[in-house]
Amino acid sequence: MSQQNGESTVIAPCTVGCPVHTDNRQLVDYIIHGEYEKALRLLLDANPFSSVCGRICHHPCEQNCRRSKVEAPIGLRRLKRFVIEATKEHRLAYSKARQVPPGEMERVAIVGSGPSGMTAARDLVSMGYPVTVFERSENPGGLLGNVIPRYRLPYEAVKEDIDDILSLGVKLVTGMEIGRDITIENLFREGHSAVLLATGLSESRTLNVPGIDSEGVMLALPFLQTVLSPIPPVLGKRVAILGGGNVAIDVARSARRLGAEKVTIICLESPEEIPAWKWEVEEAHDEGISIMHSRGPRKVFTDNGHIKALELKRCTSVFDSDGRFNPQYDEMDTATLLADNAIIAIGQRGDLTSLNGSDVQTAPGGRLRCDPKTQATSRQGVFACGEVLTGAGSAVEAVRDGHRAARAIVHYLETGDLIEQPYDDPQALGELPDETVEKIVKRHPLVLDLVKPELRIKDFVEIERGFSEAEALNEAKRCLACTTGAFADEEKCAACLTCVRICPFGVATIEKTAVMPQEKCQACGLCATQCPAAAIALKRFGTTQMRDELRSAMESQNTELMAKPLIVSYCCLFEVTSRNWVSETTVNCLESGIVRVMIPCVARLGVLDILSPFEMGADGVVIIGCSSGDCLYPTAEQRLENTVREARGVLGEIGLEEEVIDYWRTEGSAEVSWSSFWEISRRKLKLMKDNEGERANDSSRAKTTV
Amino acid sequence: MIVAERKPLSEIKQYVEKYKKILIAGCGTCTTVCLAGGEKEVGVVAAALRIAFLKEDREVEIIEDCITRQCEPEFVEPIAEKVRDGGIEAVLSLGCGVGVNFLSERLDSVLVFPGVNTKFFGAAVEPGVWVEMCAGCGNCILDVTGGICPIARCSKSILNGPCGGSQDGKCEISPDVDCGWHLIVSRMQKMGTLERLSEFVPPRDWSTSRAGGPRRVIHEGMRSQNEGSEEVT
Repeated sequence: MSQQNGESTVIAPCTVGCPVHTDNRQLVDYIIHGEYEKALRLLLDANPFSSVCGRICHHPCEQNCRRSKVEAPIGLRRLKRFVIEATKEHRLAYSKARQVPPGEMERVAIVGSGPSGMTAARDLVSMGYPVTVFERSENPGGLLGNVIPRYRLPYEAVKEDIDDILSLGVKLVTGMEIGRDITIENLFREGHSAVLLATGLSESRTLNVPGIDSEGVMLALPFLQTVLSPIPPVLGKRVAILGGGNVAIDVARSARRLGAEKVTIICLESPEEIPAWKWEVEEAHDEGISIMHSRGPRKVFTDNGHIKALELKRCTSVFDSDGRFNPQYDEMDTATLLADNAIIAIGQRGDLTSLNGSDVQTAPGGRLRCDPKTQATSRQGVFACGEVLTGAGSAVEAVRDGHRAARAIVHYLETGDLIEQPYDDPQALGELPDETVEKIVKRHPLVLDLVKPELRIKDFVEIERGFSEAEALNEAKRCLACTTGAFADEEKCAACLTCVRICPFGVATIEKTAVMPQEKCQACGLCATQCPAAAIALKRFGTTQMRDELRSAMESQNTELMAKPLIVSYCCLFEVTSRNWVSETTVNCLESGIVRVMIPCVARLGVLDILSPFEMGADGVVIIGCSSGDCLYPTAEQRLENTVREARGVLGEIGLEEEVIDYWRTEGSAEVSWSSFWEISRRKLKLMKDNEGERANDSSRAKTTV
Repeated sequence: MIVAERKPLSEIKQYVEKYKKILIAGCGTCTTVCLAGGEKEVGVVAAALRIAFLKEDREVEIIEDCITRQCEPEFVEPIAEKVRDGGIEAVLSLGCGVGVNFLSERLDSVLVFPGVNTKFFGAAVEPGVWVEMCAGCGNCILDVTGGICPIARCSKSILNGPCGGSQDGKCEISPDVDCGWHLIVSRMQKMGTLERLSEFVPPRDWSTSRAGGPRRVIHEGMRSQNEGSEEVT
C-alpha cells in the first residue's frame, strides 16, 4: 500500500499484534532519543502491568516484528523491561501526578485482583470512579502474584504494578471472598452501581483415570501456590507432569528446582502441536526436563495408596477435523513410567463461588453466562472480564480485557446501556518485500544468556537479566521504524527522480509525482535530504527537526557567554551508549562551547543544515557519524561525504575557510572518541580564529602606518 | 528540459550586496529538476549570503520563495506583487533566463538578477549529468538524422557530416564530447537506413532560429478563449 500524504491509517504490525496496541515504534523512538520517561508513560498508559509484561509477556509484538524477515525481531519485551527499570523514580512521580481526586461518581466493585480486574480498576479510578477491588487471597495479583514461579516473575515486579495502581486511589480488600463472605447483591446494596467479575481461571482441572486420587498426585495450581508459600511441597525423585501447556512447563521447572531429579512432561501433542511457548519448552529442556509426546495417562499404579507409576497410552490424534480438542488413543500401545509424584496440568476452570447468592446466571458446563461483546452478564450492572470470560489467555490479553471492561462499565454508568466492543484490530503495514529485505543491513540481536541451567535449577532466583542501557540503545536502533518513512508533497514534487536515484532501498518511484510505498521505506531520510524541491517529508524526525533543534539549542543559550570557539556538533544518535550523550546541560554547553544536535543518522544532514549554524554565529561545525562501514543505511556515508564537500564548497565561494567543517567517524564508541574529536576541532578552530585576529590587527596597523 | 547551473556565490553576492532587502526566487520546474534553483537551493544561497553578510557585519534581509514556474503569468504575478508591496529592493531569480526576463517585465523599479547560468535544452544522461540535445532552432530535421540532432550535438551544427575532426567517435573539441555525426551514422547503420544520409541536405533557412529575431508561438485554440487578448502582429 502506498501513501502520498503521510496520513495513512496502517500501523506497525508490532502495535497491531499487541493486544493492548502499545505503540512500540514510538516507544523505541523514545528510547533512541533517551526519553525513557516518555517511554514509561506510553507503556503505562497502554499497559498498567508493564513490569510484569516486561518479564513474562508472550510478546506478540516481537512475533509480528517485520525485522524477523531480515534476521530476527527487535527485543521489544526486554526493551520494555529496560524502560521500567530505568525509570523507577519517575514512575512514582508519574503515579502521583495521575491521581484523580475521588468525585461523586458511582462506585464500582471489582472481584479479583489479577491483571484484568486491576487494569479495569486503574482505568475507572483514573476517570474519577471510586473503585474497590475484592481479593480472596492475601496477595493481590491473581495468578501473577500467587502462581507464576518466581524464576520467571519475581514478586517485586508484580508488586510494582499493583502498588502503582493502588497509589491512584484504588481500594483493595484482601482476604474477602465474594459469594462466601459477602454476596454480589450485598455489594449493590452497599452502594456499588456496577460489579466486575474478574475472577480468572483459578481451579485446576483433574483427570478421570483409575488411581488419580492416590497420594502423591497433585493439581498444578495448588502445587504452584504451595511452591510460593514459606513451606514448599516435598517431592520424590521422579516427577511426572501431565499436560503440555505453559502451566505444565511452570510445574516441571518448579519441580526441578525443588530437587526432583527426573522430571518428565507427558503430553498428548506431538512436538509440533505442543501448546507451550517454544522458548519455554527449550528452557525446560536445557534444565534436564524430558517430554514424552503423544502419550496420555491410562492408569495410576499405586503402592500402599501412593503413586508408583503411570501407565500411558498412545495418543493418535489430538484434534478432530474441525480443529476441536478430541483426543483419540490407541489403548493397545501402552508404556509405563515410574513416578513418585504426578502433577496434573491439563487446564484450568473458573471458580464461580462469587456468584453464590446473586442473580447472575451460569451457562451449561458450569460457565459464566456473559456476552463477550458487551461483557455484560445476565444480572444488570454485573460485568465480567479476563479469563473467566475469554478462557485461558496471557497476561497482556487480560489487560486488554480490563480496558474493555472499564469502557463497558463507564458507558453503562453514563447511559444505562450496554456497548458492543468487537475485537477489531487496526490494519497493519504489510510485510517487507523480499527485494527490500535483501538491501537491509543485517544486524543480529544481542542474545542475553540466561543463568546457566546447572545453576538456575538450584533455586527460584530470576533467570533472565534485563538490558543494560548500552544494550538497550543498541537493540533499539535495529527498529525498522515502520510507517514513519517518507512521503512526497504532490504540489511541490517536480518528479525530478532524485529520490528514485538516491534511495538505497529502491523504494521511491514516480507515479506522476514521487511515491514511497510504506512497506518498503526504511525512513533513512536520504531522499528528503536530497530532494531539490523540498517536497519530501518524514514522519519520524521530520526534515526541519534538525534546524528546529539547533535553533532551540542556540536560543536557549546566551551565545555571548559561551566558550569560544562556538561549535555546533551534529552527532549520530545511533552511536550513543548512554543517554548522557543525548541530553545536554546548560553548564556543559557554556563551558565547552559545543552545542550538540543528535540525529538518527547524520546522512540526513543537507547542505543547508550544515550552513545554518554559521548563520547563528557558530565558528565551526563538527559532524560525527557512525564508525566507518557501520551505517544502518547503504550509501549514506558516501552521500554525507558529498554533502560535506558541497557545504565546504559553498563556504569557499563566499570567502570562508572550508576547514571550519569537520566530519569525523566514531571510533569505538561515543565514549571513546567523541570528546577527542571535539577537542581536536576546537583547537584547530581556535588557532584559525587567533590567526584571523592577528591578520586583522596587521591590516589595521598597516592602514595606520599608511 | 532547460538545464541551468548556479552561478558562483561570489558573483551572486556582488549583484545583491548593495541592497538591504532582497528576495531569492526559486523555480519549481526545470531548475529544480537540474538541481540549480529549486526550494532547497534557494535555502542554500540564502544561507550563504547571510553568512557572508554576517561576516561583514552587514544587515541584509533575505526573503526566500519558490514558485511552480517563473514562466507563467499566473505564477509570477503573486511574487511580483510581493516584491512591489514588500519593499524588496532586488530579486535574485534562480529560474532560467526566461524567469529573470518574465519577472523583470513585471517589476518596473526593482532589478532582477540571474542566480543561475541558463545552459541548454538537455537530458539527464546519468544522475547529476545533463547533456545538450536540442538547440531550439525552430525547424526540426530529426527525421533525416535518425532522431539525433546535428544542430545541437555537432559542435559545428553541420548538416552533412561528419567533418574531419571526428576521431574515434569523439569531437575534436574535447574527448568528453561525442561526435554528433558519429552518433547519427552509427544509429542509422543500426536502423538500416544509412542510405538516407546520401541525400544532400541543402543549406537551411536559419530564420526559424535565433537569426530570425525573437520568436513566438501561438496556439490559436487556447488564445481565442482569452477575451480581449492583444492582436499579434
